[in-house]
Amino acid sequence: MIPATLTKSLVEICGRGGVIVDEERLLVYESDALTAYRHRPGAVVLPRTTAEVQGAVTAIARHGLPIVPRGAGTGLSGGAVALDRAVVIGTARMNRILEIDAANHRAVLQPGVINAELSAAARPHGLYYAPDPSSQTACTIGGNVAENSGGPHCLKYGVTSRYVTGLTVVLPDGSVAKLGGQGRDAPGYDLVGLFVGSEGCFGIATEIEVGLLPLPEGVRTLLGIFDRIEDAGRAVSDIVSAGLLPAAMEIIDGPTIRAVEDSVFAAGYPTDAEAALVIEFDGVEAGLDEEAARAAGFCRRAGAREVRSARDEHERMALWKGRKKAFGAMGRIAPDLLVQDATVPRTTLPSILKGISEIGKRYDLVVANVFHAGDGNLHPNILFDRRDEDELERVERASKEIMQLCVDAGGTITGEHGVGLDKKHHMPLIYGSAELGAMWGVRRVFDPAGVMNPGKVLPEETAPEWTANGEEQGAAEPVAAAVAAP
Amino acid sequence: MSAATASAGIVELLPPDRVLTGEAASEWAGGRDVGTVLFPADTNEVQALVRLANETGTPLLPAGNGSWLGAGGWTRDGGAVVSTSRLDSVVHYEPADLTLTAGAGLGWRKLGAVVEPNGQWLPVDTPGVGAGTLGGVAACGVPGPLSGRYGAIRDNVLGLEVVTGDGRLLRIGGRVVKNVAGYDLVRLFTGSRGSLGVITRVSVRLFPRPGADVTVVFGGGVGEALEVARVVRVTSLPVAAAEMVVRGTGDETGRDAELAVRVLGGRAEVDDVRARLVAEVGTGPEGTMRGGEGEAFHRERTAWEGRSPIVVRMTALPDRLAATMGWAGGGAGRTRGEIAADVLGGVVRVKGLSVDDGIAGIAATLTRARSELEAMGGTLTLSRAPREVAEVAGWTGGGGGGGALARKLKSLFDPRSVLLSKCP
Repeated sequence: MIPATLTKSLVEICGRGGVIVDEERLLVYESDALTAYRHRPGAVVLPRTTAEVQGAVTAIARHGLPIVPRGAGTGLSGGAVALDRAVVIGTARMNRILEIDAANHRAVLQPGVINAELSAAARPHGLYYAPDPSSQTACTIGGNVAENSGGPHCLKYGVTSRYVTGLTVVLPDGSVAKLGGQGRDAPGYDLVGLFVGSEGCFGIATEIEVGLLPLPEGVRTLLGIFDRIEDAGRAVSDIVSAGLLPAAMEIIDGPTIRAVEDSVFAAGYPTDAEAALVIEFDGVEAGLDEEAARAAGFCRRAGAREVRSARDEHERMALWKGRKKAFGAMGRIAPDLLVQDATVPRTTLPSILKGISEIGKRYDLVVANVFHAGDGNLHPNILFDRRDEDELERVERASKEIMQLCVDAGGTITGEHGVGLDKKHHMPLIYGSAELGAMWGVRRVFDPAGVMNPGKVLPEETAPEWTANGEEQGAAEPVAAAVAAP
Repeated sequence: MSAATASAGIVELLPPDRVLTGEAASEWAGGRDVGTVLFPADTNEVQALVRLANETGTPLLPAGNGSWLGAGGWTRDGGAVVSTSRLDSVVHYEPADLTLTAGAGLGWRKLGAVVEPNGQWLPVDTPGVGAGTLGGVAACGVPGPLSGRYGAIRDNVLGLEVVTGDGRLLRIGGRVVKNVAGYDLVRLFTGSRGSLGVITRVSVRLFPRPGADVTVVFGGGVGEALEVARVVRVTSLPVAAAEMVVRGTGDETGRDAELAVRVLGGRAEVDDVRARLVAEVGTGPEGTMRGGEGEAFHRERTAWEGRSPIVVRMTALPDRLAATMGWAGGGAGRTRGEIAADVLGGVVRVKGLSVDDGIAGIAATLTRARSELEAMGGTLTLSRAPREVAEVAGWTGGGGGGGALARKLKSLFDPRSVLLSKCP
């Protein structure tokens, strides 16, 4: 519970409907989509404007309480979890698209706008918003900005940071800063790029300017069915090596196929297959058939037993269904799911998949893989039951081994889900004390008092020590780290 | 006044054959009086130089091949240019991963020679890129006309090794194409013009070279070219880049414009887009260039700024291109300048302004154009300028935002202001 004086202030700023202090209603906000971490916030505030966010931040900071920004709570790293009864500032009521500037292929919106709704609003103008995280029908653009979200079509079009061209942000001290804006060529440091992916630690974006793309004229979608996952991986490499640039290339493995086919989301994939590869091309109609035919040829030569192609939008949705519903289907097999999110160099995919399979067998765990094969972004999902303490411990050990395996192959610990609470202690796997110290320093530039989303992203033991007048005294004891060469 | 040779301590860190002074230094710097140029051969030497510079208070100006030395930094007496051009080896290149890691000094042409045999490229057409280095291009971070299609260099730098202004060695990002581990310091350092640190190594994302590369050229007066530009801007066809160059002297009616529209993709796609684009424009093009001819044309375009002592970069939303061009024309017309406009990005560059036209006159023209551009949300930046012009007109106005944050970041990574570079 927060002090009554703070509740009163917040109600004055955001109205009675914009402040939640009731313990039962606060339960909704105790976790994000990574339900392993649950902490009930002290209160939830739901402002509607930049001024209200500013007022709320100032009032909460005055009471010395930490602040956790939150979009739709679909994140998968525990980033929106309110540690130490922090006050959550939710953007659910900041859901207005302020401008669709079709002539300049841009839009300005509040952070609570849902990703898919932006594309829907842009569609009548012949435009859409390219980054498409799997949760796009629920997740918000503000959350996408905080996490630098990706999605299947980022293979061709790039991730969120490529599309965010301007931000209005409320900084942790309650001041407002306008960063970038009006297109892609603002002078000075790329503070927009620095803010994107800062996981709610640098402030709250209250207005976001994004770039939109013209809707592609045509789409061709293929589904390759493979008896061996390595063959699917080879098809992906062959397609890329041949100079083709599909909009998306996604693989789901045998255990995932069977989970989907046993569920209400059954998509008609053969249950004895060990991999399904979804490939999509988009662009002008001319040449699309040729590109799709070449990709189908690579699949067959790599050993696909079957290559299906969609003849219309209905069939396209059917081919995608197994991929899109994979996470939902896994809920049927086990009560808990740990979603990993490592990225590895694409050429290492076959050996990494083999390694993950061996780790799963060694710890007697079911690991189901769904991944963005085109850009090497893996999502090994470990299925388990948290009530089984022994299994839980095995999950944690296997998870860490999988991450180490990916880092050793030249990869990273998170490709699109963020570090949050879940992976902060794995940061020393890829960064040494100098890099972590620099990140602490940048965080301190934005948030000298440490009020914004504390306890996330950076492990506390790596924080440099600061003198009373704000000068860095040098990093704490160096952490053991295998620094990845860039 | 000529810049004096850097302090002995700094110079003695390197063997004599990797130090230039006096006229040799000026010659390397394209005639600029830079005093001393140092050529460290590896990251350790860069770090040693920066650390000693901190101890001795020696100012340093990071550079690659020195092609951007006119973009906001000058050495001071006792200071030195630190060129990373000797750090030019390819560290890691796996064609099937479409990624490459190399020393910051890898020349742009050498980079091309490494990746082109595999049908790959780094599609960056930032001004002056051909004479530059990978690290220099990353440090400058200026988007070119192709950035709408492929992203700017900041979208394609995956990782950096940097010696910060206070001598710390950072390895940030990585060499995979998706990476959100920690704060995106790669984006902070990319485009920071060497004001936060010396970039020593760069990892980039490469792209498959499209099967067909066709450039359609439309000509005519400025008004006609602007109308073609409008059609190109609003078309739903996938145009990769469109750049207009206005040549000639005198008033607007005496000028002629050339608009080059670049289409990239598979052969069937490109032929289709070209035919439909020409139909939408409704005016026959002056010509169509394919393959090598088009590539040579675009290489030449990236060198458009040449050694022009003053280059002004104006940005506004693309649908205000005519207005931006109008201001550019006003300034350029009076001063015999030329204009290049990135039609899809809304960026207008003016070159050919001369100090002979009077510093006060140039500064007044720029100040007026800047205030009008900023009133509609645009910016005006000096890309290159002699010190005396920059000091009067200012490198940039208030665009970009976050001034206080930027100052604190500078102070975080370069607390003693050892690095002389300015990031406008």
